[in-house]
Amino acid sequence: MPPIVSVRDLRKRYGAIEAVRGISFDVEQREIFALLGPNGAGKTTTVEILEGLRPADGGSATVAGVDVLRDPAGVKERIGVQLQQSAFPDHYTAREMVDLFAIFYRRRVDALALLRAVGLEDRAGQLSEKMSGGQRQRLSIAVAMVNDPTVLFLDEPTTGLDPQARRNVWDLIRNIRERGTTVLLTTHYMDEAEILCDRVAIMDTGQIVALAPPRELIGQLLGRGFRKAVVQQQANLEDVFLDLTGHALRDE
Amino acid sequence: MSQILGYTLMLMRAYVRDRAALFFGFFFPLIFMVLFGVLNLGAFGHVNLGVVDQANNPDSASFIAAFSKIDTLRIYRGSQDDEIAALGKGDRDLVLVLPSDFRIAPQRPGTVAPSLVLYENTASPQQAGVGEAILRQAVDQLTFAVTQTAPVVGVRREDVAGRNLRYVDFLTPGVLGMTIMQLGISSVAFAFVVHRQKGVIRRIMATPISRRSYLAAHVLHRLVLAVLQVGVLLAVAVVGFHVAVVGSMLDLLVVTILGALLFLCLGFAVTGVVATEDAVPPVTQLVTLPQMFLSGVFFPRDAAPALLRPVANVLPLTFLNDALRDVSTNGATLFDIRGALLGLGVWIVISFVLAFRFFRLD
Repeated sequence: MPPIVSVRDLRKRYGAIEAVRGISFDVEQREIFALLGPNGAGKTTTVEILEGLRPADGGSATVAGVDVLRDPAGVKERIGVQLQQSAFPDHYTAREMVDLFAIFYRRRVDALALLRAVGLEDRAGQLSEKMSGGQRQRLSIAVAMVNDPTVLFLDEPTTGLDPQARRNVWDLIRNIRERGTTVLLTTHYMDEAEILCDRVAIMDTGQIVALAPPRELIGQLLGRGFRKAVVQQQANLEDVFLDLTGHALRDE
Repeated sequence: MSQILGYTLMLMRAYVRDRAALFFGFFFPLIFMVLFGVLNLGAFGHVNLGVVDQANNPDSASFIAAFSKIDTLRIYRGSQDDEIAALGKGDRDLVLVLPSDFRIAPQRPGTVAPSLVLYENTASPQQAGVGEAILRQAVDQLTFAVTQTAPVVGVRREDVAGRNLRYVDFLTPGVLGMTIMQLGISSVAFAFVVHRQKGVIRRIMATPISRRSYLAAHVLHRLVLAVLQVGVLLAVAVVGFHVAVVGSMLDLLVVTILGALLFLCLGFAVTGVVATEDAVPPVTQLVTLPQMFLSGVFFPRDAAPALLRPVANVLPLTFLNDALRDVSTNGATLFDIRGALLGLGVWIVISFVLAFRFFRLD
C-alpha cells in the first residue's frame, strides 16, 4: 500500500526564522505516527501545512491522495483535525456541536453514534463549555471524525489531562486506528509516544533528527552504550497514582 | 446556500442561549426606552408657557381656555414681570402676553387688531418653536371660527407637530438606530475578536467551509437579528408607549437592513484593527459614543454644539436616525428620505472598503 501521507523537502520560513527546513517523511496507512520535539521544533507548523491551514514555502506534500500545497481546501474534506490552542464556540450541546461541524462538511451524520464512539452518549445534551477537560477532548475527537476522515491529525491530544483521562484518550485513538483511520499526532509526552505510536519522528530546529519505531530508537541509544544514571525502577510515581486512584475516568 | 442557512440557524440557536447578547440586544435598548420614555427625561415633551392676561375679559379667558386643553402645553399664569423673570431663569419656554385691548371679534376696517406679544426663550428653541406653532394654530383657528372662513392652511401641520411632540415618539427611532449600531459594531467586534483569540475561527477554518460562506452566515444571522430587534422594540413602543408609527413598516424594514449592513461593515473593519478582547470596549466606544450623542439618538441634533454640527450631520448614525425618524414620525416615504438613504449608501461603500481592507479571520 502506498503511504497515506507523503512529505518531501517541506520548507516554511517566518521572516528570518526557518521553522521547517526541508523535512521528508511518509506515514503508512493505519499507522499511529507521532511528531515529537521540543517547543519551537516545527511540529505544529508541519502539521498545519499538512492540514491545509498554512501555505508552505517549498517542497511537496500529499495527504490522502491530495496535493496539499495545490489544493489545501481539498485536504480539509478528507482529514479530521484537533488543533492546539483552539476552542469550540459556546452555547452548543455536544450533540449540536457534532451537527454544527457536519454542516461545515455538508454532511448528515448520526451525532449520537459519534458521541457513543468517544463515550459521550450520555453527555449528548450537555453544553460543551460545561464539560471537563477530558470530556471536551473526547468531544473534539468526535467532531474531528464527523467527515469519516482518512487521516486524523491530533495536536497534543492529552495535554492538560489527568492520568485517567489520558489513558482513556489513548484507548480512543487505538479504537480509531482499528477502524481503519491513520492517526498523525504531536506530543510532548514520551510515554505517550512510546505506548501509543508505531513510529515516531523526532524534530529539532525544523529538521527531523530521527525516524523509527520507539523500541528501535531506544535500542539504538542503548546500542551506543547509553546507561541511565539511576537504575530504572519497576514502577514509577504514575503507576502509584493510578494504583491508588484507579483507571476509572473522573469526569463522568 | 443550504450550508449558509444551516450555519445561520445554528448561530441563532447559540444566540438565544447567550444571556449577555440578549441583554445588550433586547433588554438594554428597552431600558433606555422605558427610562427615557416613562420618566420623560428628554424633557421637551412639554412646552412651559407663561400667560400674562392683561385684558382679563371673557374673550381672553375663553382664548386661554381654548389652548389650555392642549396636552403638550404647561400653562403658568402670572404678571408680566414675574413671567419674564421665569423665562430668564429657564422655567418658561414661552411667555404670551394678551394686551389689555384683547378682543375676539372681526375687525372693522380702519381699526388695528390687538396683537399678542410672544417672548421666546432662545435657550430652548425646540420648545419655543413648537409652542409658537401651537399658538399660531390656535389663533388661526380662532380667526377662522370668528370670521366664518374655511381654513386653508395649517390643519395638517398641527397633526404632524402634535405627533412629534411626545418625547417617546422622537426617542423610539433613535433607540432603534442605536441598537442597530451596537449590533453591528460592538457585537461583531466582541464576537470575532474573542473567537479569533480563543481559536474558534481557526477550528472552523480547518473544515472545508469557505471564508465567504462563513462570513455570509454571520452577516445573515445579524441581519435577521437587526430585524427582530427592531420588531420587538417597535412592538413595545407601540403597545407599551402608544408610539404612533406613521410611515410604512416596509420602508422601516428597508432602512433597518441598510443601516444594519452599514454598521456590520463598520464592525468588521473595527474588528480588524483590534487585536485583543481588552481593546474591544475602548475602540468600539470611540466609534459608537460620539454617534450616540451627536447623531440624535436621545436629543435633537440641533442640541450639539455648533462647532460639531458639520461633523454630526454626516455621521453614519445620523443618516440612519434621520431616515428611521422621518419614516416613523413623519410618514416619509423612501423617496422623501432619499438624501438620508444616499448618505447610508455612501457610508456602506466606505465601510465595506474599510472592512475589506482591515478585517481578518486569523
